[in-house]
Amino acid sequence: MKVERKELIVIGAGPAGLSAAIEAASHGVKATVFDENARPGGQLFKQIHKFFGSKEHKAKIRGFRIGEDLLKEAEEKGVEVILNATVIGLYKEKEVQVQIGTEVYHYKGDAILVATGAAENMVNFRGWTLPGVIGAGAAQTMMNLYHVKPGERILMLGTGNVGLVVSYQLMQAGCKVVALADAAPRIGGYGVHASKLARCGVPFYLSHTIKEAEGTDCVTGVTIAQVDDHFRFIPGTEKHFDVDTICVAVGLSPMAQLLKMDGVEMADTRGGYIPKCDETGATSIPGIYAAGDVAGIEEASSAMIEGRMSGAAIAEYLGYMTGEEKSSREEELDHSLEALRQGMFAPKNRGRKIEKTEEGIDISETLLTKGYIADDEIKRFPGYRYEVKIHPVIECTQNIPCNPCQTACRKGCISIGDNITSLPISVKGSECVDCGMCVASCSGQAIFLVKENEDEGTAEITIPYEFLPLPEVGDKGSALSRSGQKICEAEITRVRTSKAYDGTNLVTMKVPTAFEDSARFFIKA
Amino acid sequence: MSKTADVIIIGGGIVGCASAYYLAKRGITNVIVLEASRSIGHGASSRNGGGVRQSGRDVRELPVAMCAVEKFWPHLSEELGVDTEYTQEGNIRMGKTEAHLKKLRTLTQNCKNMGLGVEMIDKETVHEINPYLSDQVIGASFCPTDGHANPLTTTLGYYMRALDMGVKFYTGAKVAGLKKYRGRVREVILEDGTVMEADNVIMAAGYASRKLINTVGLDIPMHDEIDCCLVTEMEPVMFPQMLGCADADFYGHQTHHGSFVFGAVAGPEALMDEDTDTVNFAHAATLGASCRAIEGYVPSLKNAKIVRSWTGWCDCTSDGVCVLGRPEETPGLILATGFNGHGFGTAPAVGYMLAQITVGEQPLVDLSPLRFERFYQI
Amino acid sequence: MLDIQEKLKEIGPYVPEEDDDLLVCRCEEVTKGEIRKAVHGGITTIEELRRFLRCGMGLCQGQTCGTLTRRLVARELHVPQSEIDVATSRSPMRPLAMETAGNDLGNEEKQ
Repeated sequence: MKVERKELIVIGAGPAGLSAAIEAASHGVKATVFDENARPGGQLFKQIHKFFGSKEHKAKIRGFRIGEDLLKEAEEKGVEVILNATVIGLYKEKEVQVQIGTEVYHYKGDAILVATGAAENMVNFRGWTLPGVIGAGAAQTMMNLYHVKPGERILMLGTGNVGLVVSYQLMQAGCKVVALADAAPRIGGYGVHASKLARCGVPFYLSHTIKEAEGTDCVTGVTIAQVDDHFRFIPGTEKHFDVDTICVAVGLSPMAQLLKMDGVEMADTRGGYIPKCDETGATSIPGIYAAGDVAGIEEASSAMIEGRMSGAAIAEYLGYMTGEEKSSREEELDHSLEALRQGMFAPKNRGRKIEKTEEGIDISETLLTKGYIADDEIKRFPGYRYEVKIHPVIECTQNIPCNPCQTACRKGCISIGDNITSLPISVKGSECVDCGMCVASCSGQAIFLVKENEDEGTAEITIPYEFLPLPEVGDKGSALSRSGQKICEAEITRVRTSKAYDGTNLVTMKVPTAFEDSARFFIKA
Repeated sequence: MSKTADVIIIGGGIVGCASAYYLAKRGITNVIVLEASRSIGHGASSRNGGGVRQSGRDVRELPVAMCAVEKFWPHLSEELGVDTEYTQEGNIRMGKTEAHLKKLRTLTQNCKNMGLGVEMIDKETVHEINPYLSDQVIGASFCPTDGHANPLTTTLGYYMRALDMGVKFYTGAKVAGLKKYRGRVREVILEDGTVMEADNVIMAAGYASRKLINTVGLDIPMHDEIDCCLVTEMEPVMFPQMLGCADADFYGHQTHHGSFVFGAVAGPEALMDEDTDTVNFAHAATLGASCRAIEGYVPSLKNAKIVRSWTGWCDCTSDGVCVLGRPEETPGLILATGFNGHGFGTAPAVGYMLAQITVGEQPLVDLSPLRFERFYQI
Repeated sequence: MLDIQEKLKEIGPYVPEEDDDLLVCRCEEVTKGEIRKAVHGGITTIEELRRFLRCGMGLCQGQTCGTLTRRLVARELHVPQSEIDVATSRSPMRPLAMETAGNDLGNEEKQ
C-alpha cells in the first residue's frame, strides 16, 4: 500500500474549502482539494440569488458567479482540485482514504482542512417517507443544477432563509408554492426574502407544522395545523392543501463525522455538533483545521472568510508565514467576518425576538408573521419618503449586514453610512435619475422607484422582476399589494433589462396615485 | 444508590450481563453490575463477528463451547425475549492450500477426540454446502452444530432481562481497584472514590481486568489486540453458514437482516496502540486488506457495499484460553477474563457457570484447565 | 455514573402514544414506539439503541435520523439533548463496494 504525501489536503471544494486552498496557496502552500461531487463549488452553484453583504463580501453578486470566480482564482494560484473523489476516512497521522472511481488512494497531509459542509435536517410526521417529501436543498439541486422541476404544487416547511430563498426559486422555476409553514411563531429568515413571496400572494402559516403528508405511493396532499407553545397540535386548526411535493427546510447539521472519527474534540453547540476550534479553525489535533458549515452553521459569505482565515493559519503552521504576518492577515479577515456577524440575524441573536431596530424603530410585526410590511407600518422606516418626483422607496426594515444600494446610487439618494447594518435612508432632496441601479443591486428586491404623474392622477412604480416571461409594455393587469392582494388596475409602461442589472429586470407599472404606496407587484390580466 | 450487594460484577459486557441474569434467575437479585463506559456491552461484546463455534477450539475450552451450544443457544431467544438470531447451520473453515488442509486436519482431529461432530470435507462437498465460495477453496472442516448469532441483541437481551429481574446496573462506573477485607476480596473502589462491598466480586472487564486484579496482588500474562470488523448493506439471502479459514485471516456470516458481517486481520493490528473507545477506527490499511481476503473466498460479494467498519479489543492470554474461576489466593474474587476473542459464543455457558461458582455449585463442565493457577507454571 | 434502576423509576413505565407507529429511522424502519419502549426497558444511550434496534445503522448511518433519535431519547430520559452522546463516526463515510475498498494497494502501481 503506497501512501502519497501532500502538503495541504482540503476536504470539500465548497466556498470554505476553496477559499482556504486559495489563501494557503497564495502564501506558497501546495494545496490539494478533494470533493465528492462532479463539479466544485459546493452549494454555491445552486445559489442563483444575489448575495448580501458589502463589496468585500461579494454582495449583489449571484452565488454561482462567486463560485466561478473562486474556481478561477484557485486555478491561477495552482491549487489542485480533484473531483469525484470521496474521502471515506480520516485516520491518524493525518492520513485520508480517498475513493476515486473504483479505486481507493491513501494520502497523508502535513496539514488537513475539513470543509465538508452540512446536511439537511429532517422532521418526521405521518407520511414523511413518501416520495415527494424532500429537503429544500435537494429541491434546489434538482432545479438549479439539473434543471428538473421538483414538483408542480409545493408546500414549504420552514421560513429560515433557506426556506424563503428556495420557495422563491421554486416559483422562478414555474412551480406553485401553496404556502410556507413554520412551527415557530415568527419568520426565521430575512423579512425582505419573505416579502418577495408575500407580494406574489404566497401565504405564511406561523406556529403551524405538518400533521400529515397524504398519499399512498407519493405525496398527493398535506395537512398542516397550528401548534401551541409546547408544539402540540391544536385540534380544529387543520388546513389541507393539494400538493405533490413537500419541501423541508428545518435547518442544517454539520457533517463533522470525519473529524469525530479522527478523535478531534467535539462540542454540542447551537451551531450543531461541531469540532472545538479557535477562530482560525484549528482543532484539538495540531495541523487539522475545520472551516465553513462543518465548524458551525452560518452561510456562504462567512464560510469564505473562515476559509481564508484557516488558509492563513495553515500557511503559518507550515512555515510559509511568520506569526506577525499571519496575525495581521487574520485581523483583516476578522474585521470582514465580524461585519457579517452583525445585525438582527447575527449568530448571537439566534432564537431571540428583537422588538426594535438599531435606530429604535418598532419592527413590523406583520413582516414577522405574514411576510409583508403593513401599509400603515411602512412610513415609519427611513427608506420611505414621499415625493412627487421619481425617488427610491427602500423597504428594508431589519438591520442586516448589507450595503450595495448605497454605492449603487451615484446621486446620493440612498445612505446607509459606515455601519453596514444600518437601515438605508432615502435621502431628502436628492436627485434620482431613474437609472434603476439601486433596484437591481438590492439582493432583497426591496427597492422600488416611485413617481407621481400629477396631471393624470397616476403614479409609476418600478419594481424588480425575476420571473419569466417578462411583462411587455402595454400589458394590462392588476397591481398586487405587499400582501399579494389585487388592489387596482395597472398597465406596464416600461420594461428594462440590462447586463448591469445582472438578471434583475425592472418593470414599471402605472397605477392610480392612491395606490402608489401599496402597489408592489404586477400580475397580467 | 446501593453500595452493598451479594455480588458485584465488574464489566457490563456479555459475560457480566449473562452472569447477572443467571444469578437473578437463581433468586440472587442483590447484584450490582459496574460498567465503565456509558453503554452496556460497549467492548468486545458488541464488536465481535457473532460466531458460535466449537470446531477449531482449544481442547481446554472446547467443553465450555460445546456446553453453550448444547444447553443454552437453541432456546436463548425464547428465554431472553429478544431475537438472538441464533443460526445453527454449521461452520465451514476453508483451506486453499495443502498447508491449510494439514492445519485443519489437526484441529479437526483434536476436536473429534473431545467428542465434537466435525469432519473434513472435500472441494465438491464444500461447494455443495455453499455454492458461493471461491473455486480456490480445495477443502474445509465442517461442523454442522456450529453457527452464529447477533452479539448486539444477545448482550442487551441478557442485560434487559437481568435489569427487569432487579439487578442494579451502573454505567459510567469506572473501577479503580479492589481491596481485601479480613482476607477476602470484598471492597470495590470506584474512580470517583465510591466504595462498594460484596461477598463475591466477579471480574469480567476484559483486558482492564488485569490492572484491577493487580490491586490485590494477582496478575495474568495477557495483552490486548485490536480486531477489525465491517458490515455491508443488506444483500439477498445467500448462505446461512458461519465462515472461517485456516489462516484465520477472515471470518463472517450473513445476518438475518441481510447484511454481511466480517472480521479480518490485516497484520499491523497487533502492534497498534489505539484507544478503540475514543479513537474509533481501524488502521487505514485494514479495510482494504480485509476486503481482499473476503473477496478471495467469497468472490460474489465484490459489489456488496460496506456501510461501516469498527474495531474492538481482544483480551489475549499468553496461552490462548480464558481464565475462569476463583483463584485460591483471593477468596471472594471470581475471574472471567482473557477470552481471546472467543467470549461471545461461550458466554451463555460461562455466565451460567459463574453463577454456579458464586453459589458454590459444581460447574456444568470441568473448568480446571482454565483456572488461574495454571500461570504458576510459567 | 448512571444508576439505571433509579433512572427507570424516575421516568416511569412506557406509556403508548398516539403516533408511536411513526418511522424515525427510515433506512432500517424503526418506529418512535420501538425506540420509546427500548428506553423504558433500559436502553439509555444512542450506541445501545443502534445495537438493539439498528436505528441509524443503515445506508445513511444516521445522517437523517441521528438528531431525531437523540431528541427522542433525551425526552424519554428527561435529560437535555446535550447529555445524549452522538453515535461514533466510522469509516467509510459513504457506502463503499468491497472490491473498491480492496483496490488500494498503491497509487503508483495504478498510475
